[in-house]
Amino acid sequence: MEDKITELKNTARQLRINTFKAITNAGGGHYGGSLSVIEILTVLYFDIMKIDPKKPDDYERDRLVLSKGHAGPVLYTALAMRGYFPLSDLKGLDKPLSNFPKHVDRLKLKGIDASTGALGQGLSIACGMAISLKQQKKDNFVFVVLGDGELNSGQVWEAAMTASKYNLDNIIAIVDRNMLQIDGSTEDIMPLEPLKDKWKAFGWTVFEADGHDVECLHESIIQAKKSKGKPNVIIAKTIKGCGVSFMEGKWQWHSGAIDENQYKSCLQELGEGV
Amino acid sequence: MNTVNKKSELKPCASTYGNVLTNLGRSNPDIFVLEADLMKASGTRPFMEAYPDRHINLGVAEQNLVGVAAGLAAMDRIPFACTMANFISQRACDQVTISVAFNKFNVKLVGCYAGLSQEKNGATHISIMDVAIMRALPNMKVVVPSDHAELAEVLSFAEKDTGPMYIRMPRVLPESLFDQSYRFSFDRGYRLREGRDITIIANGISSSVAIDSLEVLKKEGIDAAFIHLPVVKPVDEDIILEAADKTGAILTVEDHSIYGGLGGLVTEIVSKNRSAVVGRIGLNDMFGLTASLDFQLNYFGISVENILKCAKEVLISKKNIR
Repeated sequence: MEDKITELKNTARQLRINTFKAITNAGGGHYGGSLSVIEILTVLYFDIMKIDPKKPDDYERDRLVLSKGHAGPVLYTALAMRGYFPLSDLKGLDKPLSNFPKHVDRLKLKGIDASTGALGQGLSIACGMAISLKQQKKDNFVFVVLGDGELNSGQVWEAAMTASKYNLDNIIAIVDRNMLQIDGSTEDIMPLEPLKDKWKAFGWTVFEADGHDVECLHESIIQAKKSKGKPNVIIAKTIKGCGVSFMEGKWQWHSGAIDENQYKSCLQELGEGV
Repeated sequence: MNTVNKKSELKPCASTYGNVLTNLGRSNPDIFVLEADLMKASGTRPFMEAYPDRHINLGVAEQNLVGVAAGLAAMDRIPFACTMANFISQRACDQVTISVAFNKFNVKLVGCYAGLSQEKNGATHISIMDVAIMRALPNMKVVVPSDHAELAEVLSFAEKDTGPMYIRMPRVLPESLFDQSYRFSFDRGYRLREGRDITIIANGISSSVAIDSLEVLKKEGIDAAFIHLPVVKPVDEDIILEAADKTGAILTVEDHSIYGGLGGLVTEIVSKNRSAVVGRIGLNDMFGLTASLDFQLNYFGISVENILKCAKEVLISKKNIR
């Protein structure tokens, strides 16, 4: 287990570096909310999810809906590092007509289970997937990664009620709780707290985790998988822009661009070459 | 050439929708029926009773209805998601756009109580732009059936077809508008009557009114052709261009805004490379009313009298141009 955690930490470090490079190569983008979900996607794609890059369409796979579709660069990079396509393909990020648009497009790439980008829609799609799996008596899981800003959207709570009504314990939602959205603090723009109580009131089992601690995330997801009868949500406490000190905790870095000097010092800070 | 039946009584579409899906659900275990607290309007209670694990009621939450349907389609199931046409096209427009159309998920969206058939529910419920919205969406197919037999055929076609589709279903339609030889085909429109002076084009509940107008036009000395056009996307362009060539004058009839629906569509096609006059009957920048279907059809000009009046106007324009 210790080896595994060390390996996941290394993978997360590499995923953060590669994602950072891909976004910078594209001329900038959603650094903040991408860097906050690195460990979440690391644990899902390199530890938890039942997937096979050689059989991306295998019906018996786990699904992931990246409801915060603007974190697409992380998902692309994770899929590349997992062997779905070469890492060098990421040069296409944000390029016209490439298979790597800013927000994920399932028709362009194997390994993307749903095209997202319009916030608030992912949990409903996950509910449909989970209802189908239940009805087919299949034991696969549907993972959903939600931004905290998108929890402003009423549709998320319509879907939360649905998951509860149909006892969709095969859904594990992970909220990237970085406390920031485009215009500022989530608690200033549209307060979400008490968030744990909200999910509980909607009939969910709630777990809390350090969203940058792979061991903690691993444990929480394992617990969530074992928790039956109700849908499960993990509120993962994260730092927007995690890993790049001048971006960390700054709503201004929801998206943006950096210059060459910043790029070099950022890579150093992220441990490139270590 | 197909001919048309005499006036047929209007009957609720709920019975056909519910029965056809229940039958399809028997042979196809992938069919799911999704509701947003309007099972009474769509008629799917028999499906729910027969296949409770494939009947999903999402409550008054149309955006979620569409999203859950998308998720089912992602699992290769065949969801039929139905709610009132105004809600599915307007309230859930972004979900239809992104979760369904952009994803190209195999979701069948059914807009029930479409158009003026909402009657006294009035402007808040009468869909006047559902066809325009759905038609503008990439990947979306759009069908507007005109009688129960055609609705049943459209639903059976939808089960076999792959990809997003919108079916406009009024509260009521004639049971049988066309004769026995008529068979719905997705690939074409139907010239059900030949004529030299003008071509009337209609679909949905308006086809029945348009058909009724043909004899009156004839009595007035107007030799009108009639095209029934249930599939507005992808549309049979040839039949419209041919109508422009043959008659040089077209009149569209729909219980929908004249912007972006059937009238808009025909105008777009004819304007490509034909010189024909196109008149459009429908709601001209207006909301629906709180009134009976008959009152509203008359009020908005979807009537034999108004078709005659507009046909004469179109023919004068045609004469002036030529």
